[in-house]
Amino acid sequence: MADSVFECRSAGITLPLRSGVRPIIADISLELKSAEFLTIVGPSGTGKTTLLRMLGGLAPPTSGAVLVRGEVLAGPPEGVVIVFQDYANALLQWRSVAANVAFGIERTMSRAQCNERVRDALNLVGLLDRADDFPWQLSGGMQQRVQIARALALRPAVMLMDEPFAALDAMTKAGLQDELLRLRDQTKVSFVFITHDIEEAVYLGDRVAVLNGSPGRIEHIVDIDLPFPRDQITTRQLPAFLAYRYDLHKAIGHA
Amino acid sequence: MRSRFGAASINWPGMAVLAIVLAAWEALVRSGAVSFEFFPAPLAILQGGIQLARDGVLFADLAHTLISIALGWTIAMAIGVSLGLLLGFSPLVRRYGLATIEVLRPIPGIAFAPVGLLLFGFSLQTELAVTVLPTLWPVMINTMGGIANAHPRLNDVGRTFRLSRGDIVLRILLPAALPSIIVGARISLGLALVMAIVAEIVGNPAGLGYAIVREQQAMNPENMFAYIAVVGVLGVLLNAGVLGLTTSLWPATAQRPAA
Repeated sequence: MADSVFECRSAGITLPLRSGVRPIIADISLELKSAEFLTIVGPSGTGKTTLLRMLGGLAPPTSGAVLVRGEVLAGPPEGVVIVFQDYANALLQWRSVAANVAFGIERTMSRAQCNERVRDALNLVGLLDRADDFPWQLSGGMQQRVQIARALALRPAVMLMDEPFAALDAMTKAGLQDELLRLRDQTKVSFVFITHDIEEAVYLGDRVAVLNGSPGRIEHIVDIDLPFPRDQITTRQLPAFLAYRYDLHKAIGHA
Repeated sequence: MRSRFGAASINWPGMAVLAIVLAAWEALVRSGAVSFEFFPAPLAILQGGIQLARDGVLFADLAHTLISIALGWTIAMAIGVSLGLLLGFSPLVRRYGLATIEVLRPIPGIAFAPVGLLLFGFSLQTELAVTVLPTLWPVMINTMGGIANAHPRLNDVGRTFRLSRGDIVLRILLPAALPSIIVGARISLGLALVMAIVAEIVGNPAGLGYAIVREQQAMNPENMFAYIAVVGVLGVLLNAGVLGLTTSLWPATAQRPAA
């Protein structure tokens, strides 16, 4: 693995609430290497989304520091893009699928170049034939793929994904998981992928970080040593997969 | 899928009901089952309308009302959209301004007719004052709502794509509010028609509203009803016109099912 893209040095976020100040996440130290797939798993209310927003530059750390390629993060960094959980709110409903995907690049490149990028991105997520539809004409899984394509069109170095498949059915979810792994191989993008689904975290991740407690802290980071390409049936039956699953459930406190 | 001009597709079953109602009206009056001295049947009203059109009076009256609706609605749109944007974007303006608006808004526009008469006399200014005031509220409230109720996620999307604050407003928040602004504009236009007619009846002796009173006082019920029918048709056409215009300008806003 090459050099690190993100580095958190005991970063934390404390928010002022009506009941006084409340620490949301604390003492976060972790590193993301280029082309790495890092999944972050944890129960609800442990600050997973806050951690992701911090990495995406939407919520500045109130203690510690976050470095992007060695520089202190100030606002949303270049080459880093967030894919939100609620695709229906995150897509621009008045734009066609193609125009949504073009949103992040249409101002910075020529029409021809932009069209080519949009075609490539839609091709990667398998939605080339729906380019002229509007988001509300697509299924939930397709809408989330549009959001992923919109992020991919930027050719980002890092994609930050906030429980992107939480609202989808199991079959759609499995398909999209495999699509992400394929995308990582094709594009060498790094992923930070938040989920509350332990199996999903193990299946996708090179490493799994466990966020737990209140304020949320990184309690464990587990290297996932499972063979690639991963397969929805055989990988999930491997004794090693089941052992990771067991260990992580235990770490979160389900055992 | 609707035709290019939105409401232009004709609802035949609905038209059939309308035709039956008119036929029944005609039959009741002709048979003498319903008998008032000044209650004409639809065909007589139609004849009255045709005669008014031939004489050219109808078009002169129509032109006056159309101009005052256009003026009143344009002024109301300009004020309403500007105030609505201000209120939508600034919580501070909402905090200080909304109470005043909530006091003024429920006052029926017609209540300002005597005020207008006192200030401007029997004139177009009175008509505009009576038209603009109630007409600006719907578009103002809908503009404010469209901006203030835009989902916070849209702001996050703008930021993660590294847009400036100005670009977030222009490329995300205004387009997101557009359907709501258009709905407000349509309600306002309908109201502008109503208020223009009312103002012409009580304030400015001109246009379709005054013509209804004029024909009533001249004891020409056919002509009076003909003018009422013209006002109704005008309302339908204005609404269809705005719908068609917005559909062709922004196809996505018209196709999207109501949220």
